Amino acid sequence: MPVDPQGRWFDNTGPIRVDGGLAVRAKRGKIGEQWWSRRFVDILERTCDPGRLARGRAYARKGQVIDFELTPGRVAGRVQGSRPQPYEVTIAIPAYDEAQWTRVLAALGSQALYRAALLAGEIPHELVDLFDELELPLFPSTLEMSCSCPDWGTPCKHVSAVLYVLAEAFDDDPFLVLAWRGRGREGLLTALRGLPEPVETIDPLAVEEVELQTRLTDFYTPAISLSRLRERPGRVTVPPELLLRVLDAPQIRVRHIPLVDILRPAYRDLADPPST
Amino acid sequence: MLVVHGVWIAGESAPGRLALWAEDPALPLTTSSRARRRPHPFAVPPGALAAALTGSSDDVRDALAKAAETELVLQLPGTAKGPLPSPEAGSEAPGRGLRLGAWETPALVLPGELALTALGALAEPDPDGPWIAAASLRYLCVLAGHACDMARRGRMLPQLVVESGTPAGRWRPVLTGADAAGYRDFAAAMPPVCRSAAVGGSSDDAGSSATGSVGRTLRDALEVLVDAAARSLMPERMLLGLRPGPRTALAERWLFSLTGADPSLPGAKPADVAELSKPLVGWLRSAHDANGPIRVSFRLTEPPPGTDDWALDFALQSADDPSLYLPADDLWSGTRMPGLPANPDETLLAGLGRAVRLFPALHEALLDARPAAMALNTGEAHDFLRQAAPLLQAAGFGVQLPAWAGRKAVGLKLTTRTRSKTPSGKAAADSGFGLEQLVDFRIDLVIGDGTVSAEELAELARLKVPLVRVRGQWVELDDRQLKAALKAVGKRREGELTAGEVLQQVVDGGEEDLPLVEVDADGALGDLISGQAAERLTPVPTPPGFQGTLRPYQERGLSWLHFLARLGLGGILADDMGLGKTAQTLSLLLAERVDPDVPVAPTLLVCPMSLVSNWQKEAARFAPALRVHVHHGGARKRDDDFRSVVATADLVITTYGTALRDLGALREVQWGRIACDEAQAIKNSGTRQAQAVRAIPARTRLALTGTPVENHLAELWSIMEFCNPGLLGPAKRFRRRFQEPIEVRGDADATAALKRATGPFVLRRLKTDKSIISDLPEKNEMKVWCTLTAEQATLYQAVVEDMMAVIDNSEGIQRRGNVIAAMTKLKQVCNHPAHLLKDGSRLPGRSGKLARLEELTAEIIEDGDKALIFTQYSEFGTMLQPYLAAHLDRPVLWLHGGLSKARRDELVERFQSDTEPMLFLLSLKAAGTGLNLTAANHVIHVDRWWNPAVEDQATDRAFRIGQSRNVQVRKFICTGTLEEKIDAMIERKKALASSVVGTGEDWVTDLNTDQLRELFALDPVAVS
Repeated sequence: MPVDPQGRWFDNTGPIRVDGGLAVRAKRGKIGEQWWSRRFVDILERTCDPGRLARGRAYARKGQVIDFELTPGRVAGRVQGSRPQPYEVTIAIPAYDEAQWTRVLAALGSQALYRAALLAGEIPHELVDLFDELELPLFPSTLEMSCSCPDWGTPCKHVSAVLYVLAEAFDDDPFLVLAWRGRGREGLLTALRGLPEPVETIDPLAVEEVELQTRLTDFYTPAISLSRLRERPGRVTVPPELLLRVLDAPQIRVRHIPLVDILRPAYRDLADPPST
Repeated sequence: MLVVHGVWIAGESAPGRLALWAEDPALPLTTSSRARRRPHPFAVPPGALAAALTGSSDDVRDALAKAAETELVLQLPGTAKGPLPSPEAGSEAPGRGLRLGAWETPALVLPGELALTALGALAEPDPDGPWIAAASLRYLCVLAGHACDMARRGRMLPQLVVESGTPAGRWRPVLTGADAAGYRDFAAAMPPVCRSAAVGGSSDDAGSSATGSVGRTLRDALEVLVDAAARSLMPERMLLGLRPGPRTALAERWLFSLTGADPSLPGAKPADVAELSKPLVGWLRSAHDANGPIRVSFRLTEPPPGTDDWALDFALQSADDPSLYLPADDLWSGTRMPGLPANPDETLLAGLGRAVRLFPALHEALLDARPAAMALNTGEAHDFLRQAAPLLQAAGFGVQLPAWAGRKAVGLKLTTRTRSKTPSGKAAADSGFGLEQLVDFRIDLVIGDGTVSAEELAELARLKVPLVRVRGQWVELDDRQLKAALKAVGKRREGELTAGEVLQQVVDGGEEDLPLVEVDADGALGDLISGQAAERLTPVPTPPGFQGTLRPYQERGLSWLHFLARLGLGGILADDMGLGKTAQTLSLLLAERVDPDVPVAPTLLVCPMSLVSNWQKEAARFAPALRVHVHHGGARKRDDDFRSVVATADLVITTYGTALRDLGALREVQWGRIACDEAQAIKNSGTRQAQAVRAIPARTRLALTGTPVENHLAELWSIMEFCNPGLLGPAKRFRRRFQEPIEVRGDADATAALKRATGPFVLRRLKTDKSIISDLPEKNEMKVWCTLTAEQATLYQAVVEDMMAVIDNSEGIQRRGNVIAAMTKLKQVCNHPAHLLKDGSRLPGRSGKLARLEELTAEIIEDGDKALIFTQYSEFGTMLQPYLAAHLDRPVLWLHGGLSKARRDELVERFQSDTEPMLFLLSLKAAGTGLNLTAANHVIHVDRWWNPAVEDQATDRAFRIGQSRNVQVRKFICTGTLEEKIDAMIERKKALASSVVGTGEDWVTDLNTDQLRELFALDPVAVS
């Protein structure tokens, strides 16, 4: 393989430089710091011959990957090679359908741990196990890869470059792994938050209904004495603005001031309204 | 007398309205109309209703100024002939054949926003006014009060709603925790008549299905009332600057619509409304999330000795049953408990997530994937105690703190020692004791449980840490307390004081920041301070002039009264009702007069009018040697006559009203004592009555009350101010120091301090005390002497004259019938004028018996007891039932002949099993055999059956095998009437043989005219 005096390798023609390409940070050593990113790199490094791999890594470090787009089941990237027209790379995995995701969500909801971890920006090992148990593996064992370059070897260096860039993107945003399988970050968290509580929450306003017809003999009489209604359990002194503090404030502004900031002084004075 | 009902007309896509309508029992009860919708025959026309309501008070007039006169179709129970009158309007036993019918009822209708003010004004009708509030109206008044309370606590959020197609800004209640439980109680309690109107108030020919459901009616009413309450509490506007115009951003217009009078937002674009209301709806919904059955709980635990590692453990806990407690650690390791939601870890995390807002340091724990606890250092633990814990608790989280948390840690200990060389034996303890006596005292500083030296204190102050361990016990030190303590150690801490000064110091209880937390005094002073005087004093034996025997606890009471009186201290004798406060007081008067050579100034006894004849009778019975003068009534003595009669009297009995009117004359007398019976009468220190009795000078003072004074702190202060003027300090200080901490926070320290401050002056024995029970008979029978009102006396005289003429002119069977009729009428007059007249006229203030019954039942209820009340007249029971129920706002069950077996069983079952204090009215005839009412420990016979066997049989309902408590039996007798004379006869005959009068009332009919005239004659003493 020809190597120039600066130690750079090149093709016969050499790739065209890309301004603002997606260069990986890791200038030497492994690419993909987090274990979940490593899973991809491992697949790649298992299936690709070392030469293409090395060239792909170099492409990735140089920033030859112009961009990539991740949609459910498919990553499409553009890699600048030696020809003016960038090569188009696609890496596909099976995306899960609605029914499959419903199963995943139910399983995720069963332990708040996942939700807490996902919120904190991590993918715990248990999560992978959970997908495996459902026989809906999070990480593919094979990747369906193609490139528009004339290289007959698969994966070619362009595909490798995109995979390396992808691995590093996974480092930064593990949700991309999930998005590839069909659920984006927002969609997933919303679905998790919105999981109905399996125990029905008690509607505080639901009361027992009695037909007038059945109360004819005590139609005018309270069924619980009024003294009992007047009894109020002694309670700790509650600051009247407590509700404003304890709840998620609604995103409402009046004259650019958050609503809760306007309400707070008025609530504080409730217990002891200033005489007007 | 109009009976005014309240109906809530639930709104249809608009706020609901309040309707008032009234029954007039004087109108004909039936209608001849056969229509499906008929006019309510005895509902009052709206004009007359408005006149009656607004005539009684300016507040009501203002509140009802905008009421609309209208006609509602109400679904009410009734028969083919007419609607069933409400109990307040004198409904007879609701029989069979009742069904719902549509009745066109005139009403006053108020828009929702005015309902709160109107209910506030209607809450306390003038007892002398032309109308009374039925249970339905009183229910709505209580609901209005609840709405105000919620608004004052900030339990509502602003919302954007659409009312009749127009968007509007409204406040909506947030019902969580105790408020949610309260809401369910209100739902269960709602009298059906409150929702008898059609939703929206339409008077179209709608079926009964159109009336509001419980939930809809209550929810609508509460929402409307809370909105009105919030508006009344909120400032006029929350933002300064220009009022928004129709083109201002909706959020700003909406904000202004939340305060002031106009909630509507006409012309707002539906898209804007939807956008603004969405987050608001989510906000209100999330507020209700706290209602889950499981809550997150925090437990702070002390560090192991020698470390600084406080632990704050998280757990899930059942809101209903706090003993269902699952530590987060166990939760993460898979432990479950019954009642948990399917995803309990999510509940925990979500709860912790909410708690972060109130306790930001918690964030650190959430970095852990499976948060179970967090470690705090001492400073952080203190912050948690002071700031986060109360907020978390208020927000519905469980919080468990070490027992010492929140207690005042630093205090003073006062030690006194008498100087007498002789050991103060029990017998000699009080003999030479006086308030002038000098004692040695020492004051120590106490932190936690132990005393600390000045040096230790200085060291603690130097460390400047808020939480310290003193002698192995953690205490919270705050700066103010430390400063006060440092100041105190600089002061005189040893020396001598008079007993009186010590007492004053104990009552003062130290300063707010440095309270007196412990007192160690010996001798009689120690007994007095510890409240043990009654047990420790040398018993004063029953004085020779006392007719009867004092029970042992009564002798102890007498000794205590005597001891305080000798020291010149005022006392509160607060024994439970029925324990003989009157007898103890009378024996005190006798004991003071044992030595005939020592003149004793007279005692002035002030009592409610209903008790005058009782005192007179009891004095004559127990202490006939006392010279008693009753200063009361139009013919009472004045000027010189008064002075001369008082000069030779031992006991002068007067009423609170007379004391106020004759204050001038009463102040001139040198009283040995002024005693107030039913001292609740002076519970409000600002009233003229209370001021009057305080203004009468006397050497010593005594208050008698049966209500538990510790439950009514303002009342306690006022009564103490009467007994020992100035001793407790000004009311304001008392409120700040004791009343608010105890009533609002249930502060244990303040409760102990109050007990120490008042203990020396209050003697309260409960009938359930072990030492008392053994002294009491199982069945304690008492006669309650009542006086006739002037109206009763006039009626009584008229009946006697009428009937004697009729009896004179008749013979044989006819005469017998007339005699019985005369007796019945006279007994009815003794009960109540309205009982004789049967005119549905007003009840309060017209009968001595009723006044006494009101006082007695109030006291019974206050004590948490249950009573059986027997009358032989079903119509009197029907009058009493709604009246007492309204007066007490407690259940008053009514068992009479018109009830089905099932209904009787139901009543008996409720009386026996419900824990709420309540009354059970029974018709003597209907309450035949087979009833077992052992839940009662009071029996009252309102009128007399001249056959003691029948009375005894009735009494035994409450007094059966299984009754573990002592039963008090009271028989009401009107003095000076035939009731008193027949009672005397029964007593005489009883003395011969108890079976002699077993033949009922027949013997009376055999009396000749002169005997009858004597039997029926009214003794002038009877009239009040």
